[in-house]
Amino acid sequence: MLRFTIRRLLGAIPLLLGVSVLSFAFMQLAPGGPDALFARNARMTTAQLEQIRHNMGLDRPVPEQLLVWIGNLLRGDLGMSYAQYRPVSQVIGDVFPNTVVLMAAGLTISLAASLGFGILAARNPYGVFDNVTSFFSYFGLAMPVFWFGLMLQLLFAVHLGWLPSAGMYSAAGGGGLGDLLRHLALPAFTIAIGSIAGWSRYVRSSTLEQFGQDYVRTARAKGLAEQRVVRGHVLRNALIPFVTVVAIDAPLYLTGAVLTETVFSWPGMGRLFYDSLTVRDYPVLMGTLMLGAALIVAGNLIADLVYGVLDPRISLR
Amino acid sequence: MIDPISRPDRFAAGAAPEPRTLDELVQARIDGRLSRRGLLRRAVALGFAAPVIGVMLHAAGDVAAAAPARQDKQPIPVTGPTKPAGEAQTGGTVTVGSNSEPDTLHPYITQLVAASDVIWGMMDGLFTYDSEQKLAPRLATAYSISDDGLTYTFTLREGVSFHNGDAFTGEDVVNSWKIIMNPDFGAFNQNGWDKIDDITVDGSTVTMRTTEVYAPFLSYVADTRICPSSAIAKGVDVFKQEFGRAPIGTGPFTFGEWRAKEQITLDKFDGYWGEPAHLDRIIYRIVPDDNTLMVQLRTGEVQACGSGAGIPPTRVDEALGFDTIDVLQHATLGWNHIDLKNVDFIRMTKVRQALDFATPSKDIIEKLLKGRALPSVADQAPGSWAFDPDIQPRPYDLEQAKQLLAEAGLTPGDGGVLQGKIPTDDPQVGDGEVKPFEIELWFVSGNTDNERIAQVVAQSWNSLGVKTTVKNQDISTIWGPEGYQFTPQMTGALFGWFNGNDPTDAYYWNSSQIPSTPTGSGGNLPAYFHHYNFQEEIDKLTTAGDATTDQEARKQIYFQIQELLHEEVPVIFIDWEVAFPGVAKNIGGFWPSAFNYLLWNAGEWYLT
Repeated sequence: MLRFTIRRLLGAIPLLLGVSVLSFAFMQLAPGGPDALFARNARMTTAQLEQIRHNMGLDRPVPEQLLVWIGNLLRGDLGMSYAQYRPVSQVIGDVFPNTVVLMAAGLTISLAASLGFGILAARNPYGVFDNVTSFFSYFGLAMPVFWFGLMLQLLFAVHLGWLPSAGMYSAAGGGGLGDLLRHLALPAFTIAIGSIAGWSRYVRSSTLEQFGQDYVRTARAKGLAEQRVVRGHVLRNALIPFVTVVAIDAPLYLTGAVLTETVFSWPGMGRLFYDSLTVRDYPVLMGTLMLGAALIVAGNLIADLVYGVLDPRISLR
Repeated sequence: MIDPISRPDRFAAGAAPEPRTLDELVQARIDGRLSRRGLLRRAVALGFAAPVIGVMLHAAGDVAAAAPARQDKQPIPVTGPTKPAGEAQTGGTVTVGSNSEPDTLHPYITQLVAASDVIWGMMDGLFTYDSEQKLAPRLATAYSISDDGLTYTFTLREGVSFHNGDAFTGEDVVNSWKIIMNPDFGAFNQNGWDKIDDITVDGSTVTMRTTEVYAPFLSYVADTRICPSSAIAKGVDVFKQEFGRAPIGTGPFTFGEWRAKEQITLDKFDGYWGEPAHLDRIIYRIVPDDNTLMVQLRTGEVQACGSGAGIPPTRVDEALGFDTIDVLQHATLGWNHIDLKNVDFIRMTKVRQALDFATPSKDIIEKLLKGRALPSVADQAPGSWAFDPDIQPRPYDLEQAKQLLAEAGLTPGDGGVLQGKIPTDDPQVGDGEVKPFEIELWFVSGNTDNERIAQVVAQSWNSLGVKTTVKNQDISTIWGPEGYQFTPQMTGALFGWFNGNDPTDAYYWNSSQIPSTPTGSGGNLPAYFHHYNFQEEIDKLTTAGDATTDQEARKQIYFQIQELLHEEVPVIFIDWEVAFPGVAKNIGGFWPSAFNYLLWNAGEWYLT
């Protein structure tokens, strides 16, 4: 397993390099550029503009810009943000932990809810509970996430006044775990809705599939309590593919959720990426794209490793 | 006496008396004997104003019925600082909401209004523009200009110290000038400072010698925030990075903390040279979504907004319904227009005039913008001393438009689309190749107001036989070298320019401001392919406007420019934006305007 891990990690290096070259190329292909807003300032002189381009390194040929960027990356330097005039590592470092907090909370909620709903629905397929959850699943998948956000905000922040409407901490006198949890509740739940809707269907069908297997009939035939059949046999088998789905989906979560973060003013990666895209802040875009790619590679690796642990029949070579 | 409890059985069936007073009417409504509309109709007939009835019903617990009061409420025009009833307190915190986060808090490199909004609470210039557009003394107490208009002398205020304890001296002014002009630093705005030849310091007197007479000099230089020499001495990179995340100034508030994408905290500065701030703290909270900003104004999580992020004009009605917020209103220096690329038929004055006649600016302002903007005929803001009040906007008149297009030699061709010969040497004479009149009308994607305006204008132009296609692109694309302004076809584009405090407008019209290449700078974009037919005249006027310091003489020059612009229609002027700041009813001293930035007088804000 160690050899497998090392081999996969080494294999990730050319993959990530490829991702960086492609991202860089696509960014250059997009029309406009980071200097467009400077250029269209009526009060800017040509000499100033040339100087700003020079400071950004935009006066060099594109392949050279890429090589410089990769060279710096290998030294652990992600470059300077064009828009914020400070190192990209600082820019990302400021908001990444916030995204981790939000996504961890969202994942926890969606995991708990989708497992619960999925298993309960599978125990009595096409029953009332199953039909109700499937109705709400489709509803959850069909409605845009910001709509849920706005509705939750209206209900809990405006009408009931139980929770703050937005932000990560209270503006004045904020801080502390309690304050964080109060602010976290609405965005975490909003983010979880989409996953609950999708994942609970997934859990339901893979659990249902196991109920039809011979070994389940055997377990029941030998007189095991239903509880033990479900917990000891069905779930262990049903969850193997689910773990893979989650491990592959989870890193995507960490690249941020623009809409939810915007509605709830959450200071996270999604907003950073969107804001940087608007002003073509190439270094920050490259940094967030590379971080996302690395997380996805890591997520896939973890999925494979967990798979091996859960199912001894799979051997990793 | 009104009984707040609804009792439909208050009177026996058929025995209820006809309500004759407001109290009786409200009681009838509460008991369900009268519809809300019926109540309003009768109450108005009795001579009561709708808001009064709203208040009565609200008091009686019928919250929904209070809604009609909203329509009668209007934003309050800003005429001075807010003065709430009640005793001014010392201390407290105010949270200001904004939908955009500053890029940096460095006064010399930021491009965003949001950043200046915050910086103005922490840093001083030699002078600052107050909300009546007058220069108010800050780090300098007085200035004088030599007779030849080339030398400016400032008397510095004594006993001023920076937030880090450094004493403010003339050397700080010199070093600020040097770093602004240092090419390695890359300041965003060098206006005015680039005219300085030399600065000498003699005790508390600073003398700036300039290379040419430049009328807007003071409006730029005196209003520039001054940085401490010790921070500048740290070198270009450190000064740019560190100072931009934690600026040091001489203002009533010091920089506290900046939590990325979340908020910036400013704390009261005890060593401030003037009256110490009333508030202990100001929090600048980033609320990226307009909906959320409205929610937070309503819940009180945000207590003020304005300048870079006021209440959007289309949401003013909603905000007027919030009990704890006053919606204010002031004019701005931002003008929206349709930029017409000076190519093909558009080079002809008559064609441009025709398009102006065919643009329903009045309806756009009244219907689309709900009357929350002012008409525009040229490039000086109503209220500015340089504004010419005598110019009347062209009416919406399709007949005159058709007439002018016909005079320009355009006749209906295939599918009713006008066609004619494009001008070659003489911009006013069509003598070249025959072309159909097809024009693209652009707007920056995401701007829903401009999207609707573009559709209305396109419909009107199409009805004339000018084939108009509405298009959009994101902001970094549309202003880039691949943007519409550098393509050969005829285009119009909806966007806004913001004037400075000085009426100078050379950067919009002067031929020196035509970009030399698509990556070049300069505000005179429409003339990229061809100079205007009135280029020589406007060059002369804009240059003269900058080279004269006598305000009366300048006024005459800018009146001439405005008349020329109205006659020649290089761009179609649509409207002057109006800003709608929101402020909690218990905040005093709040005095936003178009001439400075939101926190310019934050030291005078107080809570009651």
